[in-house]
Formats: sequence, C-alpha cells, structure tokens
Amino acid sequence: MMCVGISAKVVSVDKDTALIDISGAKRTVSADLIRDLEPGDYVMVHAGTAIAKITDSDVGETKKIMETL
Amino acid sequence: MENRKLSAKEIIESYRGRHLRIMEVCGTHTHEIFRLGIRKILPEAVELISGPGCPVCVTPVGFIDEAVMLALDRSAAICTFGDLVRVPGTEMSLAGARSKGATIKMVYSPLDAVAYAQEHPDRNVVFLAVGFETTTPAACLAAKKAKAAGLGNFSLLVANKTMPNAYRVLKDSTDAFLYPGHVNAIAGTAVCEQLVKEGVSGVVAGFTANELLTALAVVIELSKKGKPFFRNCYPRVVKPEGNVPARELMNEVMEPCDAEWRGLGVIKASGLKLRAPYRDLDARLRFSLPKITGRSNPACRCGDVLQGKCRPSDCSLFGAGCTPGHPVGACMVSNEGACSAYYQYGGNFNG
Repeated sequence: MMCVGISAKVVSVDKDTALIDISGAKRTVSADLIRDLEPGDYVMVHAGTAIAKITDSDVGETKKIMETL
Repeated sequence: MENRKLSAKEIIESYRGRHLRIMEVCGTHTHEIFRLGIRKILPEAVELISGPGCPVCVTPVGFIDEAVMLALDRSAAICTFGDLVRVPGTEMSLAGARSKGATIKMVYSPLDAVAYAQEHPDRNVVFLAVGFETTTPAACLAAKKAKAAGLGNFSLLVANKTMPNAYRVLKDSTDAFLYPGHVNAIAGTAVCEQLVKEGVSGVVAGFTANELLTALAVVIELSKKGKPFFRNCYPRVVKPEGNVPARELMNEVMEPCDAEWRGLGVIKASGLKLRAPYRDLDARLRFSLPKITGRSNPACRCGDVLQGKCRPSDCSLFGAGCTPGHPVGACMVSNEGACSAYYQYGGNFNG
C-alpha cells in the first residue's frame, strides 16, 4: 500500500482499464479515475488504480521551485 | 563572495537558524529520507519527526480484532493488503487466524477482492478497507463495481481515514509538515491553503531525492520569514484541484465520521463510513459485529511515535522484544512504519 514514487507508462487503454509498464513490468490497472488517459501518458499508480497523470521531470520542476526562493 | 543561489542541499547543510521540527507525514517519505541518506546531511538545527501517515500504523487494534472475528467466527474470506496480516490484535493477528484455518487472501488492489468474490460465489468475502485519501478511491471503486454487479457475497470492513483534522491535532508537534504528495494528488491543495490561515505551515513533497531535498530547503527558507506558509513542491503530480473524479466517487460512496487513530485517540470527522445506499456492503452490519475495543501491548510506544513524542529507538521494546521478524507494534510491522524504517536503516542518527 506504500506510495511508490515511480511513474508508469501507459501502453494501452481499454474502457476502464489500462495496461501499464513500470520499468519493464507490465500490469493492468484501473483507469476509472483519470479522464482522457492515452497510450504514452505517464501515471502514478496506487492500490491498482491510476490516480494522477505525471507531466514533467523532477529535475526541471525542482529547479523552477528553487528559482522562486 | 560568489553571488549565486545555493542548491537545496547547500541550504539544508548550511542552516544554523532556530531549531526546526519538520514532520514527514507519509510513511514512504520516512523510508525514502532514510534510504537516500538525507538524514545524514541534516544540521543539528533541523529535526525530522515521523508522523501518522502510515495507514496500517494508525489502524486501531480493535479493527484487527474485528477482522479476526469475521475470519474465524463468521467464516468470511478476508481480502487484505499484505501489511495488515501480521499486525498484532488483542489475541492474535490475521496471520494467527490463518494458522487456525481462516482464509486470509492478500490482494494488491480492492478490485482484486471484488474479482475474488466473483470467483468464489460460495464464500462471503470481506475486504479490509484501510488507507487515506490516496487509497480510499480504489475501495470506493470496489464498492461501486460490486454493487453494480449485484455481488451479494462481497462487503467491506471500513476504517478509511482523512488527513486534515489529524494535521490540526498534530500542529503543535511540528513547525512544518511535509505533506504526503499522493494524498494531495487526490485532495488537491485547498486544505493546505486553509491550514495556512489557521497558522499551520507545510509543503507538499514528492518522493525523489531532488523533490525531498527541495521540499526541505523550501521549508527552511520560508520558515526564516516567520509567517505561516504553504508551497506545492510536487506540481508535476499535485494539481490545486486534485483528482476531481476520485473525490466525486469518494463523496458518492462514503461520508465522514469520527474515527479512532492508534495513539491519537478519536479525531472528529477524520474517518469514513459507507453512505446509506452502500450500507448493505458494510461488513459490521452484515455480520452483526459487536463493538470491539482492542488492547495493545502496554509497553509499546507506537502511539507516542505516531505523534512525534518519541523516537522509535526511545521505546524499550525497539530492537529487543520488537523487530520486523517479531513485531509488537504496528509501526514495526508495516513497511511504511517509522519503527521499521529506524530498524532497517540503523537509525538513531540525526533526528
């Protein structure tokens, strides 16, 4: 149940499920909670459910945050 | 002197200001901070304390007793996340119940429990629903799909919790929270903005080294200004509005109730229960469970650990009577637990 901070790549979407690839490991998860999910998107997965799209690298993002300080 | 901005790591390492207590709420943050060696670079003036963000750790003993009763006395097949199985109940854990013949099935997702119930129409199947805003939508999805499928042999034993009122209870234990990124991925940031108005500071943090160092540096820098603050340091996942479909689903299936947290007692409106249209899926009602108050080992200090009142290594059981192989308290059982992290990483250093 831990929050794993690894994003998963969406391989395919079929109605309310998505096939995801996490570093080569593939698994089908629920896609019920994300609107407009498409192959090629990256998502965070928790308890077998995609809970959020992830859109940028952490490096670019943290650099921007540090610049605001 | 060179005129350049300091890196996050430099800001942390060079801090010599007033003592700062920063509570990492999420159990995975606790583990990642240890694993990445971040505690080793903290100056004396920065203290990290581990909060109550491990759902298994805050689940009261009575919940385990209820699950054991369902498994042994009501012959229900229990589907559960793996980390609940070894949590001690008053008399036994679910692993102990399994050794007495109970069916205890570990699942990765609540939806796997629904599938298990469909595959075993001759068994009553109960899913143990614990977790915060991150996990609750999946349990609600399971309830909704089971109801839509007319699945009469599936129910949930619900102990889901929500974080906002726990922050309010714990606000005096810390100068700033590292908010759990994936809770905010669902909940959004409105609660954090509201907490600033109540004088509570914090930043949402991600899980990589860059993200955790940045979040800590932001806490240090904003604390210098002497005013309550909030900053979202994980915007690639956490949007201000959060995950709207997930929250709509939670609101459709569950409603707030008072809830008991291990170590923190009862916190008003910090729990969730099934709404009336879903109440036929409530295992407590379906199996007429009596009200159960569990008893934990009196020497166990999980409650103090969860409130940041002591370090795991301050507990007399830590590493002696209580180890990951033979856990006494929930914080040593769960992979997310603070005691487990301290034990695993040899951790009585810097914080």
